[in-house]
Amino acid sequence: MAAPATTEAFSLSYSMFSLLLILFACVELGDAASAVHVYRLIQYDLGGVPLGSRISHLNHHAASLPLDPNADLSRSALLVPLLDLDLSFLTDYITNKKPLGGLVILLPQKLGNKFADFGKHVDLTRVKSVLNQLEDLLVHAELPYPVYFAYESSTFDSLLGDIRGKNFSSQPATSTNGGYKLVISTPEAKKLSPPTISNFQGWLPGQKDGDSEQLPTIAIVASYDTFGAAPALSVGSDSNGSGVAALLEIARLFSRLYSNPKTRGKYNLLFGLTSGGPYNYNGTQKWLRSFDQRVRESIDYAICLNSVGSWENDLWMHVSKPPENVNIKEIYDGFSEVAQDMGFSINVKHKKINISNSRVAWEHEQFSRFRVTALTLSGLSVAPEFLQSTGNLHDTRKSADEKAVARTVKLVAESLARQIYGHKGKKLDIFADGSSLAVNVHRIQSWLDLLSRTPRVAPFLSKNNPFIAALKKELSDHTVEVHVQNEVLDGTFTFYDSTEATLNIYQVAGVTFDFLFLMVLGSYLIVLFSFLVITTRGLDDLINIFRRPAVRKSKST
Amino acid sequence: MTLFHFVNCALLTFGPHVVYYSATPLSEYDTMGTSIKAAVVYLVTALIKLVCLATFLKVPENEGFDPYQEVMKVLIGLVDVAGLYFALTQLTHRNISQNHKFQAVGLGWAFADSVLHRLAPLWIGARGLEFTWEYIFQGLEANANLVMTLSLAALGSLMWLRKNKPKTLVPIIYACAFLLATMPSITSYLRKALEWQTREVVGFEIFSSLVMAFFSWQLFSACQRPL
Repeated sequence: MAAPATTEAFSLSYSMFSLLLILFACVELGDAASAVHVYRLIQYDLGGVPLGSRISHLNHHAASLPLDPNADLSRSALLVPLLDLDLSFLTDYITNKKPLGGLVILLPQKLGNKFADFGKHVDLTRVKSVLNQLEDLLVHAELPYPVYFAYESSTFDSLLGDIRGKNFSSQPATSTNGGYKLVISTPEAKKLSPPTISNFQGWLPGQKDGDSEQLPTIAIVASYDTFGAAPALSVGSDSNGSGVAALLEIARLFSRLYSNPKTRGKYNLLFGLTSGGPYNYNGTQKWLRSFDQRVRESIDYAICLNSVGSWENDLWMHVSKPPENVNIKEIYDGFSEVAQDMGFSINVKHKKINISNSRVAWEHEQFSRFRVTALTLSGLSVAPEFLQSTGNLHDTRKSADEKAVARTVKLVAESLARQIYGHKGKKLDIFADGSSLAVNVHRIQSWLDLLSRTPRVAPFLSKNNPFIAALKKELSDHTVEVHVQNEVLDGTFTFYDSTEATLNIYQVAGVTFDFLFLMVLGSYLIVLFSFLVITTRGLDDLINIFRRPAVRKSKST
Repeated sequence: MTLFHFVNCALLTFGPHVVYYSATPLSEYDTMGTSIKAAVVYLVTALIKLVCLATFLKVPENEGFDPYQEVMKVLIGLVDVAGLYFALTQLTHRNISQNHKFQAVGLGWAFADSVLHRLAPLWIGARGLEFTWEYIFQGLEANANLVMTLSLAALGSLMWLRKNKPKTLVPIIYACAFLLATMPSITSYLRKALEWQTREVVGFEIFSSLVMAFFSWQLFSACQRPL
């Protein structure tokens, strides 16, 4: 009686063993959950139209390219490196409003601050063009699913490798099959109160000759805030961190000259750091409106600095008055004289203002609307579109060159000095390298470093931010009558919070695995039970357990 | 889904104890009281061990294997044996045969051990979203532990409850009992000094528990023959 039972038991254990083998093959031994810092796409309303990513929490299985053409992604989060992203595919999804569970875009490490020196080598021009197109697409579309940016890392590399491997078995990861789950648990984004914009101004008063006539003023202005697809990554090193660094250096140089009454010029110098730049230079408008009319009328002309960190041989001077205008011609001649000495060229570009159009492409246009002569010096040759070139994802530290900024500083300082001290036309080198008035490239470099570490999107930059305090302090060191004007941005923009989050990656086993395991466990316990009954009470007892109902039935009849 | 995993692992960890109780004649003779008393004795023993460990052991600075600390742990592990001795000999049991006594005591002891050491991590960890093999290994360890505790209880009953044993077998009995009592130290040595992976350690535990069970069974039946 024992022999058939043992062979039965043996075959049962053999089948169990093979089942266990299948189980082990289904689910590999995985790493524990990982947590990665991710940055959210901006969510905002423009004139009531909802734009950007409207949802912030994420709880879906990870999917990756290459995808099945008919794959349903409404319950998957697509995880894709930037350079693998097919923009036509994404445009198709967005324009046709196809459902997507979530999108996580991996940026090359070279773009980040931390790993910029160690990251894998990547073609930065291609990255820049892809990023520009991507940002344009995402910022102007309404996306009813969470969109996040993250930097590539070894965690993501192995994750993508695993997902791609499973893709080849043509089974997308779902809750029954196992795979990876991406979870971002943040509360839904709330509307922010209208953002405060802080405009700074500082004066370097000129030397009055004793009469009460108002001295003419020359203004130098730069806007310091940014706007980008990912507000937490929008550092805008070139647009417009370079302008800020240049302005601060010019202020420092002239403050040295103006500190000595003997070298104080007969012009007042006004330095302005404005906010609200990406929003049609709304801050500049409010700043100008706050001036007394006499002060405004005393401004001879204003030089606005925008994106002066990325040019090599050509600098552009953008004007709204025609270049034949006497004032503009004078200023241009002054600049091109110095430029020629320094070995590069300045080109004038004229763009008429359309008063009925609310779009303000350059900062000088706001001055022109108040009938103040103004121009913008920029490395950009074409006026940027709305919300373009305002601190995009590719605009990190590497896109601003301190030498280019230094050249701009020298150009502006020399031209101003020649005009202020009446040395036009003379071959002078006031701010010569090596002199006590030399342009300090290291100072520019450290300001660019600081600016590249500080995201400066206006609604997320509070009045009490240490960066604001640093700007104020720097301006106070070099100028007098420093005044901070706090205004509220005009109402067409509404922003939402939640710009950063933590992404948790879990490896999940799937319901099939659990069912299989339960069956294996059930059979193990049954085998154990039978084994124990057989060894301690004998086989008859085991059979009796199953025969009891039958015995009772026979007894009752 | 993850509650499912918790239920699975709980079945793996505690199921065999229940199955053992219901499958063997223990349930017919109603030895539940003995098992409960054994569980209480285990609890007290565990508390005493905790106090001793806290008093005599230093916090290790590095992860390596420190022989002096391990020897100390072995000595404290012998408190376990003392506890078993107390449960087997001192407690007043109903009139049950020696055969069933050691089984009941061993079962209660192992069940208390599983509950105290494994229930809390299981409840907290296995319900999470992340899948790991950890809790399955823990369940397998619980199974191995059950077998080892039963073997130790069997040898213990041989040592302390049976008066007439064949003289040749006595040293073997004591040797096997000592080996079983120091099994936790052996596994920690394997884990830390030789740096075995969890699945290798669990495999070793299962294998050694089966081997020791076989030996104890042989010894037990050898000692039963004269009677």
